[in-house]
Amino acid sequence: MKDRLFRDILPQVSKPARYTGGEVNMTKKDWEQAQAKMVFAFPDVYEVGMSHIGGKILYGLVNEKSNHLMERSFAPWPDMEEVMRRENIPLYSLESFRPLNDFDVVGFSLQYELSITNVLNMLDLSGIPLWSSERQKGCPLVIAGGPVVFNPEPFAEFFDAFLIGDGEEVTLEFLDCVYKNREMARDELLQQLARIEGVYIPALYRVEYKNDGTIKSMAPVAKEAPAKVRRRVVQDLDQAYYPDKPIVPYMEIVHDRAVLEVMRGCQRSCRFCHAGMVYRPVRERSVDTLKKQAAAQLASTGYEEISLASLSTLDYSGVSPLVKDLVKEYGPQGTGVSLPSLRVDAFSIDLANEVQKVRKTTLTLAPEAGTQRLRDVINKNVSEEQLFSAVEAAFKSGWNSLKLYFMIGLPGETEADLDGTIELIRKVKAIGDRYSRRPVEIRASLASFIPKAHTPFQWRAQNSIEELDKKRRYMMREKQRRIKLSFHDSETSYLEGVMARGDRRLAAAIFKAWQKGCKFDGWSEYFHFDRWIEALQECDIAPDFYNLRQRNYEEVFPWDFIETGIDREYLIEENERAEKGISTPDCRQEGCRDCGVCIALGVDLQIKEGYSVAVES
Amino acid sequence: MRLRAEYSVGSDLRFLSTLDMMKLMARTLRRARIPFALSEGFNPHIRLSLGTVLPVGLWGKREYFDLELEQEMSCSEFVEKMNLTLPPDVKIIACIQIAATIPALMNSINCACYSFVVRKPVEEMEQWKDIVLQRDDLVVKSRGKKKDLDKNLRPGILKIEVNRWHKFAIIDIWGSIGEPLNVRYDELMELLVITGINKEDILDVFRSGNYIRVKDDFFTPLEKVK
Repeated sequence: MKDRLFRDILPQVSKPARYTGGEVNMTKKDWEQAQAKMVFAFPDVYEVGMSHIGGKILYGLVNEKSNHLMERSFAPWPDMEEVMRRENIPLYSLESFRPLNDFDVVGFSLQYELSITNVLNMLDLSGIPLWSSERQKGCPLVIAGGPVVFNPEPFAEFFDAFLIGDGEEVTLEFLDCVYKNREMARDELLQQLARIEGVYIPALYRVEYKNDGTIKSMAPVAKEAPAKVRRRVVQDLDQAYYPDKPIVPYMEIVHDRAVLEVMRGCQRSCRFCHAGMVYRPVRERSVDTLKKQAAAQLASTGYEEISLASLSTLDYSGVSPLVKDLVKEYGPQGTGVSLPSLRVDAFSIDLANEVQKVRKTTLTLAPEAGTQRLRDVINKNVSEEQLFSAVEAAFKSGWNSLKLYFMIGLPGETEADLDGTIELIRKVKAIGDRYSRRPVEIRASLASFIPKAHTPFQWRAQNSIEELDKKRRYMMREKQRRIKLSFHDSETSYLEGVMARGDRRLAAAIFKAWQKGCKFDGWSEYFHFDRWIEALQECDIAPDFYNLRQRNYEEVFPWDFIETGIDREYLIEENERAEKGISTPDCRQEGCRDCGVCIALGVDLQIKEGYSVAVES
Repeated sequence: MRLRAEYSVGSDLRFLSTLDMMKLMARTLRRARIPFALSEGFNPHIRLSLGTVLPVGLWGKREYFDLELEQEMSCSEFVEKMNLTLPPDVKIIACIQIAATIPALMNSINCACYSFVVRKPVEEMEQWKDIVLQRDDLVVKSRGKKKDLDKNLRPGILKIEVNRWHKFAIIDIWGSIGEPLNVRYDELMELLVITGINKEDILDVFRSGNYIRVKDDFFTPLEKVK
């Protein structure tokens, strides 16, 4: 297989290094000796999938800490897919070049709703039946994890199981169970797996609908399946597994650097933010642990950059000493530190300056909304003064371009808010022109707001394509030099919205869309909205039902059976406060806001380097 | 201190681009804790320069890089440390210290040898060689800058040798690099095909060496450092 690939197949395709494996630090375990065999399948190309931290953690965890085995596979780019189909080459793993249907478990990482068509395509290329109900004994278990599975329902019928929450908590337990019960009939095995906390087996639940199309009830049909599936959560990140020897790809990937996960979770409570809700509470790693991990990773990879990842790295209580120590230790060898996103304040800029001593990075700030009123609605606790002081500090320190993140289509947004955004961008540029010697450039990215499951805005309606397009045209009506606005595609946003709050009935349309050739839907050159609309129509599905409809508090949602730990009452209260334009402070600073997560999951908010530091910073 | 190293790139890594190879070397230097020198400026990088680009899809028997060190280190220690750290398919074959005044590899390598493993008897290929070398022009479609224009490779073909390899023949073709005529391996491949060798009979292609040619003599970059 490998010889044929290298000689006949790969010379025909673009970026062949995507498909060769054999990278530095790759683990290839003995197939016969290994217990359960799992392939980590990422439904996007290699350079995207290899950039993902979760995959690095699980790969190391399974291969180093258990007798099971994990290999990798990624979605082939359409040119490679074409050759594979023509030459009858099944989708294979990069370690042993085995077809995916040789494995016991095929585990997909769902980071993005629209990657589902790539999942179907990868299964098809592997010769694995697409529908869970069609898979027989001997066929791999097809499972998924990641942020998208907090509402797994649109994809429920394609998967045998979903793993909800922190993967390092549940994956080994899952594989142990698969191996122990390997002789069992498939449906019995699924029942056994359902007993593991955090495992959701969709086949073991029945959903009934009301006449208006909303859900009447969703209940388990087997005694092993819990009524609510509670997400798994790592208690203490200092004790959790983290890879010291991540794979170093040969080709350039999206995030081509060593990564430290400084903390998990974020307690800022931005009301639109899915990750902020489903990964609570904040659990930090200590500076000591992180420094050890940095040393080990740099020694084993030779990377020239180390990135401090989390949902909000500048909120990490140890960020200042950590950055200073890393710069001091590794700067002389030309190894830089990077901060993925900055908080909007002058402290952040000071730290960015520290980082910049080694390597110059792009500065990105995210005010999210253009007026104070709207920022209060979404609970983005950033004031105009904070933003301006950050911008001033940045331009004084020698940056001459800046990236700003905003959203449009937010709840309660008016024309005045859109004007406010434009005005804000202009003021930022004016500050830049005052302090910078050269003309400055501002690039603003405007994402469409999509209401997500498990957030305070889960009851809200999304803007229609027409509304979003109208807002875009309105904001683009006056061009200004050195200000660049870029908008997310409104049709893509529309479909993402359908999936984000969809239910099981969408599966038929997803299948149809895939049959019509939809894949790589996250890549604009491959996104065919018309085919999706056709598919939905042919399945008699009115997509507006899922994204454009305002819901009431009584409605049962498809994702209600997933217990993130956050109380429904808290989400309702936050939604009400949004309506009134009242912000809610960070629970680290102003005390507990009763979201319920710590009590429900038996975890604590973990601030490793002291509350005083956290609050001050 | 400046080093020049000769290395091989195995078949498993033949799909790496030059940029990939550059990163592979740089990261190996860091892992092996080689005392490399860094450039100045906002984005400091290791003072490492690779020779001519090894085309994607080809493996290489003898490739070259120059490296500047900040501290002294013996060549043997360098080779040993690197070879312990490099991926299995890359090996440093040799390394010498060179003077700072020696021109960069990019500016001195002017010839490369491409090798084609062909499923044909050696004798038949010897005849093929004689016929080809007698021709005044060998025209193929250009693959480089002037894509699809006719290109005469003949002035750039400096030498051809045919050797036996098991039951097959290996054709080594020395072609000129850079100005005025850059002979590419894919153009040579086409030449083989239009002169009667079936594509299916070409079993492997690799670059067997890079040379600094002075008149009729071919020196390796390790030889030509005085």
